[in-house]
Amino acid sequence: MSEVVTFTKSYRFSAGHRLYIKGLSDEENFRIFDSCSNPAGHGHDYYLEVKVTGGINPVTGRVISREELDGAVTPVIEELDYKRLDIEVPYFRDRQPTGEHITEYIWNRLEPRISCKLVHLRLCETESSYFEYFQEEECPYER
Amino acid sequence: MGYRKLLTKKMEFSASHRYWNPEWSEEKNREIFGKSAGPYGHGHNYCLELTVEGEVDPETGMIINLDDLKTIMKEVLRDFDHKHLNEDNARFQELVPTTENIARVLWEIFEDRLSGSEKYRLYRVRLHETRDMYVDYWRDEK
Repeated sequence: MSEVVTFTKSYRFSAGHRLYIKGLSDEENFRIFDSCSNPAGHGHDYYLEVKVTGGINPVTGRVISREELDGAVTPVIEELDYKRLDIEVPYFRDRQPTGEHITEYIWNRLEPRISCKLVHLRLCETESSYFEYFQEEECPYER
Repeated sequence: MGYRKLLTKKMEFSASHRYWNPEWSEEKNREIFGKSAGPYGHGHNYCLELTVEGEVDPETGMIINLDDLKTIMKEVLRDFDHKHLNEDNARFQELVPTTENIARVLWEIFEDRLSGSEKYRLYRVRLHETRDMYVDYWRDEK
């Protein structure tokens, strides 16, 4: 018998973006990205769930300290919060600022900052759509 | 390929707790546990999600009768609801009542309570401490 313990904490940030391909007309972009290519941009309140795993430390009773996780996540999302992603965040100058790329961005910055294993990210862009990012084909830590 | 069938029931309970290691000084407890080390404890409205895996009984159409599950959950949570876990619950006399440890204790209790049937088994304990934080706990037969 082996036990699996995961700890999940959620965070919020707000950001603006515009999805478009440089060199295409506004009409062509609208055909591909619909209202997401509105020339002046638009924004969302993003809701991010960060899931980590590890053994329960027998002394502290925890997988990770809340302060450590907050300390790792906060600076990562501060670089996105209240920003126009495709203009103000260099990473998105040559990548579409989609949920798929935002989760990848957060994963790459967050993973080296935490002492236990980052296993799953869920980014809710709206109430009706969210993106997930993890390493394996099936996430063994999502049940 | 088979299909996995799951049933989940939620139940809330309110409890207070204190993160405190008696072998450490006050300063060390404060350093490690922050405001959770306050001397009188503090509380949360926990939400437990219990997920059961099993076969759907062809006669009842159920994996487990939700009323029976509700009764079991109410009985078990009597030792947690409106209690100070460090003081009132024997399981936390020597175990820090973190969300992780509460989830592990709940797994052990519910795994035992649901062990009477071959048709279903406990699949996952999810324990929300606040709206923005939860712990998942399960055991694999590996």
